[in-house]
Amino acid sequence: MADALTLSRPKAAQAGSVNILDVSKTFHVDDRTVHALDNVSLAIEPGEFISIVGPSGCGKSTLLRFLAGLDLPDSGRILVDGERIDRPSLKRGIVFQDHRLLPWFDVETNIAVSLHSVAGPEAEKRKRVQYLIDLVGLTGFEKALPHELSGGMSQRAAIARGLAPRPPLMLLDEPLGALDSLTRSHLQDELLAIWEREKSTVVMVTHDVEEAIYLSDRVVVMEPRPGRIASIFDITSERPRHRDDADFVAVRREITNLLAKR
Amino acid sequence: MTTSTSPISRPGLIWRALVLPAALIVLWTLLDAFGALNSDILVSPGKVLVTAYEGFADGSLPGAALATLLRALTGWVIGATLGLAAGVLLGLSGVARGLFDPSISSLRQIALFAWIPLLSAWLGNGEAMKITLIAVGAFFPMALGAQAGCQNVPAPYREVGRVVELDRRAMLTKIIFPAAVPSILAGTELSLNIAWLGTFGAEYLIGTGYINGMGDGLGAYLAAAREYARMDQVLLGVLFLALIGIALDRFVLGLSRRLVPWRMP
Repeated sequence: MADALTLSRPKAAQAGSVNILDVSKTFHVDDRTVHALDNVSLAIEPGEFISIVGPSGCGKSTLLRFLAGLDLPDSGRILVDGERIDRPSLKRGIVFQDHRLLPWFDVETNIAVSLHSVAGPEAEKRKRVQYLIDLVGLTGFEKALPHELSGGMSQRAAIARGLAPRPPLMLLDEPLGALDSLTRSHLQDELLAIWEREKSTVVMVTHDVEEAIYLSDRVVVMEPRPGRIASIFDITSERPRHRDDADFVAVRREITNLLAKR
Repeated sequence: MTTSTSPISRPGLIWRALVLPAALIVLWTLLDAFGALNSDILVSPGKVLVTAYEGFADGSLPGAALATLLRALTGWVIGATLGLAAGVLLGLSGVARGLFDPSISSLRQIALFAWIPLLSAWLGNGEAMKITLIAVGAFFPMALGAQAGCQNVPAPYREVGRVVELDRRAMLTKIIFPAAVPSILAGTELSLNIAWLGTFGAEYLIGTGYINGMGDGLGAYLAAAREYARMDQVLLGVLFLALIGIALDRFVLGLSRRLVPWRMP
């Protein structure tokens, strides 16, 4: 159960460490065997912002689903704060690419759903929901149904739902992938602000190299057949970053070249 | 929050829907005026109106309609409730599916009126038998709709429930049942429709025996009209069946729009 998690928990500076150890996964499609992940290992520090980029089929989404506990690896282990993942947990929030808001609930209720199993008084939960609605800029849309929202607004609500239980580890599966570039860069800044406030570890899967460099402490580049880590880039420059700085451009070219080679 | 994508208004749509019936009535009146109607096949519109007036004056027509409606609703409530329970059980439990699904699927293949000999042997030809027949008709579409709804909840929504650690109960009330509502409403619509059609059949085929007397309802009304070759009453009875049927259908449709303002993917 989620009783270890309460809304009033102090900011856990050391929570949200991830250890991925020799994780492998094969799928069987018809008669072919697909090595989605082949002996992938990665250690993530608490509070780190990590992006995973790579072409489709490199296993980045599979890895994220393992971190969420939605699927399990064939071999290898994944530890979060020393605990082995065997099922989904509120300690690991996930935002899906297709926002996955429940169409029958309004914005408020959609966010509150993620607090259903969290211990704590109702009044406090309501305050938390309202705080998040304000935080992601959906004030005034509390009672709106998902089909009445734009794509950007739906994704904001989904981000708020992921954040609501204050998970020490946030998993983002191309959360901004479906948005237009203007909304996208705006939400990137918001994501950064939220991350700096919540001090949670973030693992984000994205197609967008620029987005990865703009946001992350480290960019993990993966390659397919079999899915594995090709290279890891440390992005050390101060935030807010500028997309036309020399070192930004240099790293972007390096990553793009690496991806283009495959 | 508008659900209509049509450029014309609702009253406009209603008028449009009335064009064909109005044209038929005009044609019918003209044929009558030129003396082209054979009264054994089709009586004049005026005659039907007079019969309708008489029917309302002595209460026989609204009485018959009300009896049929009450009978249909009683059978439907029983059948649909049981169907909903069975469908939800089958939709949620693989074990229940394994045990009952093949049997229910087989029973569903029996045409509704093929139950009549069996049910009349067990229950006689009275009210209990008619209600049971209507309930049997209402049961299957409702069970099917509820089962499909509960069984086919999109995996992405189930995953949302899993990642926020919903317990079994919350999973049902917040994810599975709401996701099943559109399918359950489709089952409701179909089961009410079959209950309505089945009621007429029950009244017409069962209620007119020598043992139980004439029975009541629109089915008996039509059976009598046929017996005495009263084409005016036949037309009126058919008209009432259609009007009440469409009213029931529209009622469920309106209910669906209120309950499901969203669209399932």
